[in-house]
Amino acid sequence: MPCLGIAQNFTISGYVKDKSNGESAIGANVYVREGMIGTSTNAYGFFSLTLPAGKYTFVCSYLGYEPFTDTIYLKENVSKTLSLAPLGKDLNEVEITGEKTDDNVQSSQMSAIQLDIAQIKKLPAFMGEVDILKSIQLLPGVKSAGDGNSGFYVRGGGPDQNLILLDDAPIYNAAHLLGFFSVFNGDAIKNVNLIKGGMPAQYGGRLSSVLDISMKEGNSQKFQVDGGLGVIASRLTIQGPIVKDKVSFIVSARRTYLDVLSKPVFKYIRPKSDFAGSSYYFYDLNAKLNWQISHKDRLFLSVYHGKDVFDFKDAESSFNVHVPWGNTVACLRWNHLFSSKLFSNASVTYTNYDFSFTAAQSNFELTLFSGIKDWTAKYDFVYIPNPRHNIKAGINYIYHTFTPSNVSAKQGETIFDIGKIIRLYSHDAAIYIADDWEITKRLKVNAGLRFSYFAQVGPFTRYVKDQFGRTVDTNVYGPGKKVVDYHGLEPRASIRYSFTKSLSVKASYTRNYQYIHLASISSVSLPTDVWMPSTDLIKPQLGNQYALGVFKNFNKDMFESSVEVYYKTMANQIDYKEGAEPQDNVFDNPDNAFTYGKGEAYGAEFFFKKRTGKLTGWVGYTLSWTWRQFKDINYGQRYLAKYDRRHDASLVITYDPNKVWNFGLVFVYGTGNRGTLPNGLFAYEGGVSYDYGLRNSYKFPDYHRLDLSATYTPDRDKQLRRKQARFEKRYERRGKDITKIKLPRSWAKNYQGSWTLSIFNVYNRHNPYLVYFDAQGDFLKGNYTVKGKQVSLFPILPTITWNFKF
Amino acid sequence: MKKIQIYLSYTFKSTPLFAVVLLFASCQKDIDVKLPAYKEKLVVEASIETGKTAQVLLSMTAPYFGNVDLSDPTRFFVKGAFITITDGVVVDTLKELDPTTGYLYLGTKLFGQVGKSYLMTIKYNGDTYTSITNILNPIPLDSVFFKAETDTFGYAWGHLTDPVGKGNCYRWFAKRITKDQFFVAPFNSAFDDKFIDGTSFDFSYERPPQPNERDGYSDQPHAGYYNIGDTVIIKFCTIGTTEYLFWRSYYSNKASNGNPFSAPANIQSNISGGAGVIGAFCGYSPSFDTLIIKK
Repeated sequence: MPCLGIAQNFTISGYVKDKSNGESAIGANVYVREGMIGTSTNAYGFFSLTLPAGKYTFVCSYLGYEPFTDTIYLKENVSKTLSLAPLGKDLNEVEITGEKTDDNVQSSQMSAIQLDIAQIKKLPAFMGEVDILKSIQLLPGVKSAGDGNSGFYVRGGGPDQNLILLDDAPIYNAAHLLGFFSVFNGDAIKNVNLIKGGMPAQYGGRLSSVLDISMKEGNSQKFQVDGGLGVIASRLTIQGPIVKDKVSFIVSARRTYLDVLSKPVFKYIRPKSDFAGSSYYFYDLNAKLNWQISHKDRLFLSVYHGKDVFDFKDAESSFNVHVPWGNTVACLRWNHLFSSKLFSNASVTYTNYDFSFTAAQSNFELTLFSGIKDWTAKYDFVYIPNPRHNIKAGINYIYHTFTPSNVSAKQGETIFDIGKIIRLYSHDAAIYIADDWEITKRLKVNAGLRFSYFAQVGPFTRYVKDQFGRTVDTNVYGPGKKVVDYHGLEPRASIRYSFTKSLSVKASYTRNYQYIHLASISSVSLPTDVWMPSTDLIKPQLGNQYALGVFKNFNKDMFESSVEVYYKTMANQIDYKEGAEPQDNVFDNPDNAFTYGKGEAYGAEFFFKKRTGKLTGWVGYTLSWTWRQFKDINYGQRYLAKYDRRHDASLVITYDPNKVWNFGLVFVYGTGNRGTLPNGLFAYEGGVSYDYGLRNSYKFPDYHRLDLSATYTPDRDKQLRRKQARFEKRYERRGKDITKIKLPRSWAKNYQGSWTLSIFNVYNRHNPYLVYFDAQGDFLKGNYTVKGKQVSLFPILPTITWNFKF
Repeated sequence: MKKIQIYLSYTFKSTPLFAVVLLFASCQKDIDVKLPAYKEKLVVEASIETGKTAQVLLSMTAPYFGNVDLSDPTRFFVKGAFITITDGVVVDTLKELDPTTGYLYLGTKLFGQVGKSYLMTIKYNGDTYTSITNILNPIPLDSVFFKAETDTFGYAWGHLTDPVGKGNCYRWFAKRITKDQFFVAPFNSAFDDKFIDGTSFDFSYERPPQPNERDGYSDQPHAGYYNIGDTVIIKFCTIGTTEYLFWRSYYSNKASNGNPFSAPANIQSNISGGAGVIGAFCGYSPSFDTLIIKK
């Protein structure tokens, strides 16, 4: 091993790509065999490795790709672009010696998991739609809320505490159709990185997790069309080079045809009513342009637009509802290399989430709308002076515009004055620095510090309340005038100590401020939930998390395993006061309807994964407790959160026996959600009313489910050979010249189709979605009876999807 | 304007969102629900009105689900409570109308007067409950009228001019002469002037069912309508803010009954004391209008 520090140092830097389509390889390992000194590529495929002058065996490896090996004589700075060829499917078994795949043990980052979209696509998909959010819910520490909800809950945190980034742009509502599907179209996505603890300093603004999703960059080598026809939706993706190896694009679209299918269903549900015209659909559009200006500069433009539209028409009562909602995001990024050791990324981001709800009856019309809009500017630097340090620093600024629920109404030509539109404005800024420092071979520390600042600014009107909730005063702030500001230091640290190459212990501490809040007026997560900034009444959320873990790999990294425990506190949580109504916002501040409290969560997570071979997959198990306590809920007493889940387990298996077939299996088990049900009744003014029990004192039945999938990919070469043989035979019989036979057209040669059969809920478990009481008779007449009822959403659902590319 | 509130409650707490989910609902089945142990609460339905003595109905809540016999609701009536009402000068001890059943307690000598405050004290089972209410200045309707929705059926309307300054709250009762026995309040019968402060406006209410009509009322073809030939007396009352907040939370609780989507709403009370009490002591300042519905 060359001795560090004596000889002069030089840097090898560059990008790693997929040879077949030019996509950046994220997290590829780059190292030299001598002393196993190495690094891995960042989210843009960039690496930088500084070594003393000398001769090295330089290796680049990436799971699923043929490794690149070269002997280099390092006597000056070298810049390289490495293109790795994907392994043939049947070559999966090839053992790659010397591969550095112990990142999970050796990195200082804990509580993080990277999922490849190819891996996600092999799993059974609900209604045939590949869903990233559902896939990450199969990981320990990440809980789903059950069927019909793609909000996720990380280590006891709320669904608003996850920072969901699509190419650096935050997504505020990641769900379609009340949460049955996520907004991420699997065909446009390349990589998913989830951090549930030990959040590095470059991320902030949320307490619980980061879900960093990268869109594909577009094939820079050749034009490619992918698509699929599913039971409820169709997808089409077009990508290709505009200038080969320099400029590429990708456009991907998806739309459901549920609106067509739902009409007969509406008729079935309420045959007596005429619901003609009721419909529901959603669509997604992803686009990205990627321009490699020079070796030092790259530019990316990413755009996402998605929308849900729900129409409800009841002809009988002439009652109509029109509900559109959706996200629009755009991000312009510029990668620049100041030197082979200093990488930078500057970005400008726009994100907008809008919800609107219009109800009309006769000539009376009422519209309710809400949303959030952000403009973000960000500049991040990565400085890699030598293989032992990886220094990150940066600055970011966000301008938020919040539109909590607003109402407008009119009757005929008369427009009611129900208060002016309430918008809330704020500045949100942060600066950070962090160093990932390998102190010795055994000890590695990632220490970071983030400083965040938040200010709510005018125009703003504060309605001051008395103890009965009546307005007694109003304070008016002019445009740009500061209403209140907050700031905080957020130290982050994680430490790794490795006993051997395949065994390490890690610990982390993170402190996070979150200046935005999501308030949900319903007991389920709906698009009606409103985003609110911190205000003079709402203090910023503050989270502290401690985590400790043991990480061990077996059998040359074929198996990885980990055990992690965590403890987390969350201060300044918000919820609506009991009995709050949506119209409380009118002539008022939404935060006057809130109550404030805190949360606490702790648990242990067990993870065991087989990562190579024909059979891959994992088993995860989480034991956890999640508490909440609010001043005006449950008489101020602490209670278990709705998604408190004592036991949560998942089993995920994919099996690739050969080129033609592959199979997937998912099994999940979770303790039931908690809820509040009436547990007393009483007579009042001659009618019967309910007395609700303590908050979340009822536990729903447990959730469990098995899904299976099989994908059949016909061997196209074989098909073409057979086809040609048939042609030849036929022409031979007719005595024609074989050389004149017209072969299938060239696009057809590139055509590859596959069929996926997914079976959701194989043993038809009736998992609870709702539990309610059905009361019959009259209490005052003594013939009152009550029955408990459970509503389940999905029975066994087999679906078939046809995917193609050419 | 009240209509806006009803719409929002309706749309957010009920049908359309529920319909979307039902689109996917595969099955509904009966299950055994194991609820935690329940401690009964005192239910107080107390009022005093201009020119009338106080009236208090006392009962206990019943456990919702479990091995409790609900076949005799009189089991939950409260007997032997000691109730007083005072305006600070006169103390009226309420009389139990029928000591064998309990439930209804009536005042004998203190008559409600505009501008006065009343303190109610209930002693029962070792606990003491107290509440204060006021009889405010009445704010009468400017006029009442009828608007047909079909040939002969329609709703009763009122025209109100709300005095400038927020904090006025109202409650509407109605009864048909000869046909109805009691003044009954329709659903969402209480409102405040948050939206309508200082304005003049029209608003309407359905015909509420009389107690003996409640069974299957909503299935009747002309439920909620008044008919040509009806003579309706409208009792329009001014009430206090805490009383309004009680009625609001009471109706909010009723609106969420059986709807598993809505967050549970506990009822706010203006009565304090004891281990848990449901209900309110409400002072009413009525003004009366007669609406004769002609062709």
